[in-house]
Amino acid sequence: MKPWHAALLSLLLLAGCKRETRQARLDPAVAEAMDSVATLPIGINGRPPPVLLAMGEPYRSNAYQLSQGKRLYAWFNCQGCHTDGGGGSAPALMDGWWRYGPDAVSIFLSIRDGRPNGMPAFRERLTTEQIWQLTGYLQSLGATSSTAATPGRNDSMQTRPGENRVPSMSRLPSPHEGGP
Amino acid sequence: MRPLLRAGVAVVLMAMVLPMAAPCAQEAARDRITPANVATLRPVLTLRTGSAQPHLAAPVAADGLLFVLTPFPHHLLALDPASPTAPLRWRHVPEADGRAAGQACCGASGGVTAAGNRLFLATLDGRLTALEPATGSVLWDSRAADPGAGETLGAAPLVVGDRLFLGNAGDDFGVRGWIGAWEAPTGRPLWRRYTTGPDSDVGIGPDFRPHHHADQGRDLGQASWPPSAWRQGGGGVTGPILWDPTLGLLFHGTGHAAPWNPARRPGDNKWTAGLFARDPETGMARWFDSISPHDPHALGSATANALVELSWQGRPRRLLIHPDPNGRVYLLDPASGEMLSAEPFAPVNSTTGVDLANGRPQWNGAKLLDANGILREVCPGRPGAVGGEPDFSRDTGLFYIPASLLCMDIEFRDAAYIRGTGYTGANIRLGTAPGAPRGALVAWDVAAARAAWRVEEPFPLGGGALATAGGLVFYGTRDGALKAVDARSGQLLWRFDLGTGAVSRPVGFLGRDGRPYLAILAGDGRGAGREIDPRDASADSGLAHALRGLPPPREAGGVLYVFGLP
Amino acid sequence: MKRASRLLPLLLAGCSGWQSALDPRGPSAQDLHGLFWLFTITCTVIWLAVMLVLLAALLRRPPATKGAAEAAGRRSARVVGGAVAATVLVVAGLTFASYLATRAISSDQPEALVIRLRGYQWWWEVTYPHEQPDQTLLTANEIHIPTGRPVRIELAAADVIHSFWVPNLTGKQDMIPGRSNSLVFTAEKPGTYRAQCAEFCGLQHAHMALHVVAEPPEAFERWRTAQLAEAPAPEDAEEEEGRRVLESKACAACHTVRGTEAAGNLGPDLTHVASRRFIAAGMLPTTRGSLAAWVADPQSIKPGNNMPMVSLTADELQAVSAYLTRLR
Repeated sequence: MKPWHAALLSLLLLAGCKRETRQARLDPAVAEAMDSVATLPIGINGRPPPVLLAMGEPYRSNAYQLSQGKRLYAWFNCQGCHTDGGGGSAPALMDGWWRYGPDAVSIFLSIRDGRPNGMPAFRERLTTEQIWQLTGYLQSLGATSSTAATPGRNDSMQTRPGENRVPSMSRLPSPHEGGP
Repeated sequence: MRPLLRAGVAVVLMAMVLPMAAPCAQEAARDRITPANVATLRPVLTLRTGSAQPHLAAPVAADGLLFVLTPFPHHLLALDPASPTAPLRWRHVPEADGRAAGQACCGASGGVTAAGNRLFLATLDGRLTALEPATGSVLWDSRAADPGAGETLGAAPLVVGDRLFLGNAGDDFGVRGWIGAWEAPTGRPLWRRYTTGPDSDVGIGPDFRPHHHADQGRDLGQASWPPSAWRQGGGGVTGPILWDPTLGLLFHGTGHAAPWNPARRPGDNKWTAGLFARDPETGMARWFDSISPHDPHALGSATANALVELSWQGRPRRLLIHPDPNGRVYLLDPASGEMLSAEPFAPVNSTTGVDLANGRPQWNGAKLLDANGILREVCPGRPGAVGGEPDFSRDTGLFYIPASLLCMDIEFRDAAYIRGTGYTGANIRLGTAPGAPRGALVAWDVAAARAAWRVEEPFPLGGGALATAGGLVFYGTRDGALKAVDARSGQLLWRFDLGTGAVSRPVGFLGRDGRPYLAILAGDGRGAGREIDPRDASADSGLAHALRGLPPPREAGGVLYVFGLP
Repeated sequence: MKRASRLLPLLLAGCSGWQSALDPRGPSAQDLHGLFWLFTITCTVIWLAVMLVLLAALLRRPPATKGAAEAAGRRSARVVGGAVAATVLVVAGLTFASYLATRAISSDQPEALVIRLRGYQWWWEVTYPHEQPDQTLLTANEIHIPTGRPVRIELAAADVIHSFWVPNLTGKQDMIPGRSNSLVFTAEKPGTYRAQCAEFCGLQHAHMALHVVAEPPEAFERWRTAQLAEAPAPEDAEEEEGRRVLESKACAACHTVRGTEAAGNLGPDLTHVASRRFIAAGMLPTTRGSLAAWVADPQSIKPGNNMPMVSLTADELQAVSAYLTRLR
C-alpha cells in the first residue's frame, strides 16, 4: 500500500465522527406549538403540530426519545394500572387495539387530558415534551410492525417480549418453561 | 290491656329479628337443596348483564326478590325468579363518575345489602344510597369516597339496627384507609376512623386493650412509619365487616400498606395488615392484632371473618376465624384478640410459623427484601391465598375456603406517589410449579386446626363458597363451572357449565313461591371487552400468567344464573 | 524566573481547599495522604536514579580493550542484579505499606453513625436510618456528620454506577446498582468539604457534588431535629401562592415537601431545601435567585438532567422561588 492510500483511508474514517446533536430540551416556543394539536370535537384524532413533522417525528423513530419514554412510563406510575403493557385495571397498551385511536395525536390527548373511563389527566404533572416522549414509546409498544429504533433493554424482571420483538413473539415462556 | 302488651312485645321482637330475616330465609332454602336432589337443579332464569368487567359482587336476596349489582358502571336489578313472565321488577342506574372505571381492581367492586326493609347500595365511585326494595325509589343518597384520589368503596355495607358501616378501598392508589358509620334511616354520617395516623384519627383511646405488647404505645399509626408516609399508607377496609351481637363489637381486617414496595416504608406500618375490634357506637378500637407487621409482600388482611361456637381443646368456646391472605387460618378469641392458632391452609414459604405468644410471624429470610430487586417464588402470591369469601358449616364443623395456591415472582422498584394514579412499586408474575394445582377448595377442620380434605382445581378460585345446611358446598370456578360437593367428603355431586368464569359467591334463597333457589353471577372479565394482553406476564397484576392455558370464555360478558328444583 | 514564581501558587493550589486529598482532615485521609507521599517520593527517587543511569549509559565511551569489555560486562551484570533485587524489595515494601493503609481504612466501627447514600443521575439521596421509623430522615445532596464520631456511609445506586469521594476525609468507594458497599471515616475537626461523584455516570457526572458538613455533636443533633420537622409554613401571600403552585403543578409529581400535598419521590426531597448550601448537587449556591433560575430552566444550567422545564408564568415563578426560600 502506498502512503497516500493510507492517508486517504484515514480521512474516510474521520467521516464517521459525526455525533447526533441532541437538544437538552425543546425551545419554549416549540414546546408551546407541540401542545397545540388540532383535534376533532370528540377529542379523538386530529392533525399533529406541523413542527413535529418539521423535526422529523423524533418521538417515534429516535432511540433516545423512546428510552426517555420508557423511563417516564415507569416513573409516572403507568405500570400501576397498565402493568408492562398488558393491562389490568386499565386496558392493555401492547395489543395494538386503541380505544381512542391509534394515531399520535389521540394518544397524546389521552395522556394530557385524560379520558372519561378512568384515565387521569397528566397535563399538570408532565411537560409537553415528556408527554410526546411517552406517546412515541406507547406507539412502539403497540406497534404491529417492528422498527429499527428501540429503547434500552430491561434490567429488571422481563415479563413480556422486549420492545424490539413485541409484534413477532406470541408469548414469553415462563421460568418453568426455560424463559427469563 | 294484655293483648295490646302482647302485640307490643311481638312488634319489638319482630323489629329485633327483622334485620336477620334475610339470612333466615337463606337458612330455610339451604336445607331444602340436599345431596339427594342437587342433581335435579336446573336453570330457571338467565340474564346477560352486558358488562365485560369481573363480576365480584354477589347478588343479595331479600323477601323473595333477588337484587343483582353489575360491575361499574353499575346497574342494580331487582328480579323475581318465581315470576315466569316478567322477572325484572325494576332497574336502578346510579349516576357514575367515570374516574372510578380505572380503579375497579384488586377486589373492589361496590355492593348492595338488604336490611330492615331497605336496600343499601355502595357504588364503586363512592356513592352510598338507600333504596326502597319494592319499587327501587331512592330514599337518600350521599357521597362517601372520592375517586379523584383513587378512593373507592370496595364491598357491601354492614347494617346493624339503624346503623350502617362501610370501609373504603384504594390501597393500590396510596389512599388512607378508613371505616365509617352512617345513620341508616337518614344517611347522616356518624363517625370515621382511619387505619393510619395519630391515635385520635384511628380511634385509639382509654378502652383500647391490645393483647400483644407490640401494639401498645402512643400514636403508633404515625411512629411506625417514616415521617409523613402514613398519609399515603393504605390499609383500606375492603372486605366485609363482621358484627358480634354477643360482645357488641365490630370486627374488620385492614388492607395492605402502600406502596407494595416495603423499602419505602421501614417500620411496622401500623395499623395496616391486621384485625381491629371496634365499638359500633363510637368506632373506638377495643383491640388490634397485627397479622403481618411491615407487610413485606403487601398482602393485607382485609378478608372476611367468621364467628363460630365450637369445642376448642376440650371446652366450648366462641372463636373468631380469620383466613388471611398470607395462607394461614387464624383462630382468635373475639373478646381479647388472643391468637390461639395460625396454621397454613395453602403452601406457604414466606413465613415458617407464627409465634402465638407475641402474635408475630416468623419470616423466612430468603423471601424478604427491603430494597429494590427481585424475589422469586414467594408463596402465597398477591393478592393472597384466600380466593373468595369462605363459609362455615355448623353441621360438619368445617370452614370452606376457596383458595388460590399461586406463588409469585415480585420485582420491587421505585414508586412515585401521584394522586389518583396507581402507587404500587412492584411488578408481579404469578404462577406455580408445572403440574401443581393452582387452586383448591379447602375444607378446614376448625377444631383440629388442619385441613380435613381439599378439592384441587386447575385454576385459582376467585369466588366465594356457600355451605348449605342440607350438606352441600357450592362454589364457582374460573374455568366456568358451578360445582356442588358433599360437605363432609368433598365428593363432586353436581356441576354446571356457566360459559364464563365465576368470581363471586353463590347465593341460596327462598322465592316468593316458597321454593328454594340458587343464584350465581358469573363473569370473570376475561372476555375481549376488557382488553388484557396475556403476552405480558405481569398483566392484571400477574394473574394473566397464572391463567395461561385457560381458553377465553364462551360468554363475552357476565351472566346471572338462577337455578331451581323441579 | 518571574513567570515561574507566578506559576508556583497555581501548582500549590491543589494542596489545600475543601476538595483536596492533599489536605487531610480525618484519620483515613491522613493514612492515604501518607501513602501518597510515600509512593510519590519513592517513585521520584527511582525515576531520577533510572534517568541518571540512562544518561550514564548514553554518555559512556565503549570499552577500549577486550579485558575492559569483560570487566564492564561483569560490572553491569552486578548492577542489573542489584537493581532487580532493589525493585523487588521496593515493590514488596510499597505493597505492604498500601496494605497497612487500606486495612486501617476498611475497618468497621460498631458505634458508627449510619448514613445511607443512594446515587441517582445526577444527585444524591441521603437517608439517616433510625430504629424508630418516624425518626428516619430523608434529604438530599448534603450530609452533616458529628466530629469525632465514626460515620459509616452505606452506598447504593439507583440507575448506573456512581462513586462517592470526599477527598479531605477518605478515599473513593463505588456505588453499584444491586450491591451495597460501605465506607467508614471520621472527621476530627469541624469544616465543610466537597465530595464528588468519582465514576463516570453520564452527561452531568462532573456536576454531581455532595457537601459534607462536619460539626460538633450538639450542632449535629440540632440540625437533625430541625430537618425532621415538616416544612415551615408560608408567611405571606406570595409564599402561600408559591405553595399552591408547587402542589398543583408538576413539582408535586416528583418532589416531596412534607406537610404539603407534594409527595413525589423521583427527585430530591425539598422539605428543607433552603437549609442546604447548594442546590442541584452543588451547581449553584442556594439563594432565591438561583432557585428561580433553576426552576425556570434546569436544562440550561445542567443540560440532560432529569428535571424538565416546567412552563410557569413570571408571577408563578416569583411565588415558587419565594416559597422555596422559606423552606429552611
